[in-house]
Order: sequence, then C-alpha cells, then structure tokens
Amino acid sequence: MSGDRLYAGVDVGSATAKAVWINSAGETLGSSVIPSGGNLADAATRCLRLAAERAGCAPDAAACIVATGYGRERVPERSRAVTEITCHARGARALFSEARCVIDIGGQDSKAIALDDQGRVLRFEMNDKCAAGTGRFLEVMAHLLEIDLDDLSRRALAGTSPVAISSTCTVFAESEVISHLAQNQPVDDIVAGLCRSIASRVYGLVSRARLTPPAIMTGGVARNQGVVKAMEALLGSPIHVPESPQTVGAYGAALIARDDNASS
Amino acid sequence: MDLSQWIAPFEKVTGDYYAYAREAAERGRKVAGYMCSYAPQELLYAAGYLPVRILGRIGETNRADELLQAFSCSFARSVLDSALEGEWPFLSLVMFSHTCDTMQNVADLWRAHTPGTEVMIVSVPSRTDSEAAVRYYTAELERIRKALEKQCGPIPDEKINEALSLYREHREAMRELYGLHAANPGRLTGAQMMHVNLAAFLMDRAEHLEGVRNLIAAFNAAGAQEPDGRPRVFVAGSMCRHTAFIEFMEAAGCRVVGDDLCVGSRSYAFADADGDTPLEAIARAYLARTPCPAFHHSTRQPGDALVEAVRRDKAQGVIFLLTSFCDPAAFDHVPMTQALEKAGIPALTLSVEQHREPPEQLRTRVAAFVEMLQGSATP
Repeated sequence: MSGDRLYAGVDVGSATAKAVWINSAGETLGSSVIPSGGNLADAATRCLRLAAERAGCAPDAAACIVATGYGRERVPERSRAVTEITCHARGARALFSEARCVIDIGGQDSKAIALDDQGRVLRFEMNDKCAAGTGRFLEVMAHLLEIDLDDLSRRALAGTSPVAISSTCTVFAESEVISHLAQNQPVDDIVAGLCRSIASRVYGLVSRARLTPPAIMTGGVARNQGVVKAMEALLGSPIHVPESPQTVGAYGAALIARDDNASS
Repeated sequence: MDLSQWIAPFEKVTGDYYAYAREAAERGRKVAGYMCSYAPQELLYAAGYLPVRILGRIGETNRADELLQAFSCSFARSVLDSALEGEWPFLSLVMFSHTCDTMQNVADLWRAHTPGTEVMIVSVPSRTDSEAAVRYYTAELERIRKALEKQCGPIPDEKINEALSLYREHREAMRELYGLHAANPGRLTGAQMMHVNLAAFLMDRAEHLEGVRNLIAAFNAAGAQEPDGRPRVFVAGSMCRHTAFIEFMEAAGCRVVGDDLCVGSRSYAFADADGDTPLEAIARAYLARTPCPAFHHSTRQPGDALVEAVRRDKAQGVIFLLTSFCDPAAFDHVPMTQALEKAGIPALTLSVEQHREPPEQLRTRVAAFVEMLQGSATP
C-alpha cells in the first residue's frame, strides 16, 4: 500500500457534510458524516480529517480533493468543485454498474438523474426551493411524532394501511399529521403515509426526467426503507440501495479527484 | 485585444437605467416608454420621441403587489412597480401592446395610478400571417399616428421612411455583431453583449448604431479569438433585464454565444418589408417576424426557428430563462423543448423571477448542465 496515491471527496450538503478517502483502486479507506452546521468550511475540514483518521492516513495525504454539495465552493482543501449531480452519477454508477438512473433525496433537495449506457448524465431534474420531498420533511415529521429518525424506517414498514397525506407543503402536511393523530390513527400508518408522500413527490421529478430502471437511490433518505419501498411501488421495479447511501456523492467526488489526477 | 472600452459607453447607459432618458427630457426631447417589441418604435422615433423600453426595476416589488395577484409574472409586477414608485416622471406617453391579459391590465392600472401620462395600447393581431392581419395592423398604426400627431404635430411620411432606414441599419449592425460574437466567443462576454442589447432600448438609435459600428470595427481589428473549449450555450426566453443571469451562467464555465431573447437577437432578426405606405411597411415587417409567444403563425412552429438559430450559432446546449407565471411562454416552451430534443440538443429550463438575483440552487443546475455538456463533448 505504501506509495499508493490517495484521493478524497467531500460533499457539503445542507444538513450533513460527508467525506470519503479512497486509494487508486477506488476502494473506500475511510468515511465520515457530520452535521454541516453554520460554518461550512469548518465542517468540510473536520469531516475530511475525521475520514482521514478512520482511513489511517495523514489529513494532508490526498493527491487531489474534489468538493461537491451546496457548500462546495466553501471547501478550503478543494482542488476543484463539481456539482452534486455529476458526483452522484459518478459514485452511483461505480457502486452499481447497471444503473441507468439515480434518485437522490438529500436534506434540502432531491434530484432525478438519467444516465446513458456509459454512465454519463443525460438529463436531470431538481426539486424547487421547497422542503417537500426532502429529508427535511422527514425530520420535521420525526420531531413532531417524537420518533428517532432512524426508527422512522422500522415504523414505516410496520404500518399496514398507510394514511393519505395529500398536502405537498411540509407545513400543511404537519397539520394533516396532527389531524390524523387526533383521529387516533396508528402512528405506524401515519409514518408509512409520510414515506409514501415523499416518494410520490419525488416521483414527479422522476417522471419529468423520464428515468428508466435499473435505479439506484442515494442520499440520507435512502436509509429509510419506507420511502424506498414506496418508490419501488411507484417505479414498478426494485431499487438498488448502496451500503452507505449518504456518502455516494462524496465517493463520486473522490473518484473524480482520482480521474483528474490521472489525466493531469 | 480587450474591447472593454468599446463596451463602456453602453454600460454607462445601462448602469443608471433612467439617466439617459431623463437627461434627454431635460434637454427638451419628448420621451415615450414602450413595453413590447411590437410597439412601432419607428413611428415614435419619426414623431420626434426618444423611445425607451420599460423593463421594470431590479429588486423586490412592493407597491405593485397591492394591485396585482401573486400569480402575475415578475415582468408585469416590476414594470407596474416602477410606475407606482414614480420612476418615470419624464415620460410623455407610455405605449403598451396587447400581448397578454396581464399586461393589458397593467396598462389600465398605469393609467389609473399615474395621472398625467398618456397611455396608448396598440392592438397587434394575434395571428400574424394573413393579409387581414396586415390590413388590421396598418389601420391600427394609422390610429396611433393620429393620436401621436395630436401631441406633437404632423408626422410626415419622409420622417417615417428615415426612421425605417435607421432602424433597418441598426438591425443589420446588431446581426453583424451577433455573428462576430458567435464566431469569437470570449472576445466579449455574454453579459457584455447583454449590456449592448439593453442600451439599445434606452439610447437614441442613431447614437447606439454609432457605438455598435465602433464596436464592430474594434472587433474586426482584434482578429479571430482562439476557442477555449468551454461549452457553447444558447439562451432562450423572452426577458433578461438582469445581466446577472448571463454572468452566473458564464461563471459556471460556459460561453453564452447566442440568444433568442426579446431583449436580444429576436428584436433584430427580421428584414424590412415593402408597403404602399410607410405604415404598411412597418406592419408587414413586424408581422413577418418569427412570432413571439404572444402571437401565432399558422405554419411556423415554435421551436423551428430556435433549432435553426442554435445550429447557426453552433451551440451545444440551450438554457431557457422561463419567466414564472408567463403563460404564453410556457405554452411555447413545450413544442420548443420537443423540437430541441428531436434535434438532439440538450436543454435546461430555469423558472425565474426576472428582477431578482439568481438563487443558489439555479447555480447548481447551470453548473451541472455545463458539466453534462462537457461530458458529452468528451466521451
């Protein structure tokens, strides 16, 4: 391993910062996920260091670092910034080589990306400036229902007859959830309904970008089985969820860093 | 060779949107505001007016929101806001064209809320390709001429013919400049081109033409510009009041090489026409244009001219600046994107508020689109 070049990618999103270190074979050596907080540059640096520590390498060992995510221009260590569309496409395709589309649901935005047979971006759609159909929506509801975010997934799968959540607006949907609670609906059914609501909202983007399977889902919300199952039902096809969906963008950025270094 | 000094006179004018017209009014020239490129600027010019295109103000709208619904487009809100804020005290008249119901109502609101300014409405036939449309529009121009003559005295035919020649020469010069820009992207930025365009709507055409000719001469003297490999992008839409939109596209790594904007090349992309009278000549020339989304042609499909222009400018992709809540543009957008897709030209649509800074999320979309074009260029 000694002498092998190392590369890092850092994805500074609205909710969390993610970093991944890889070797020249593209294998992940270490990764980290921390809250983005108010200082994006600081979060990027801490996140990169933590991932370096886990990878067992020095924080300045990377031959090239690519930054992505909404805070990409704020990352002091970056060699260059690449958008999350390109990075998610790159990372997703490396993890799932058959992928012809990527559905990414992050903290503040969601994306539907169509790939050609070579894995290049063909088309993409992003949500509007609204929290509906994003991780933020789930966070608000988890808080309201006093359920741990990680527990939402289990509760959604336990729901046997999901309630209908018809509002696309997060604030209106919150009032709707309160009405369901007042009517004594089981919480599991409400959670299942919320997951279905996110999926159908994002499915609008999926249709607009005319995505075709095989699909891979990335972003923090992909950790929620309820949303994945609801999306699979809408898509009519199984969705591949990588082991660590949250770090796919950072992993793609690290791969682009490696490509950049190879071509320079 | 840096062409900045030849752009400076235009940027000076666009830097203070009202100064040029205000100073002209102070020197005793009558100033006529107009909203739409189908308003007969040659006729206003022949009547001695300085025609100034009203494009609204940059920034938030306040007072217009008291009168217009939230689903009115940002152009209408901003234009009305500029009137209500009293930013046009030196206008002798304001000319609207019947483009859409929203602007028709803005005309009425303008009349009701700024007493003392004459508000005229030109009714342009919505279907443009018939002899009936020519007769109708010619009669409408006769009516406008009589109304103007009440304000400023007789408008002789020779004056109209002179204005027609000046405006034709100006369109030819602008087309030449666009051609040079598309052939040498980077010599001028897309934003600099937009300053030249916006200044055309504020300045006396003769003075603007002189500036454009100087710029063309400097452009030719500068020789060919080496291509830098950045993706060539074409901007489609209607309005672009805020050059920040072009700046942020180019900051994402592309070159804006052409446009079909109403405040851009669309205003120059038509030839003179013959007519039995000068007014009929104006009517025929205007109606022979590729119709804007507010008007219709029975055989030409929206999108045909766009694909042709994109190919002419060798653009690799198209970015639509679609004004939120502009229904006519939204209707045309569908066949336009279909025509582009059929031609294999990638497109990105940005739904925008014309008078605000582009939000961060749009930057990400444009940057991703540019990366996508780069990817398709180097498989």
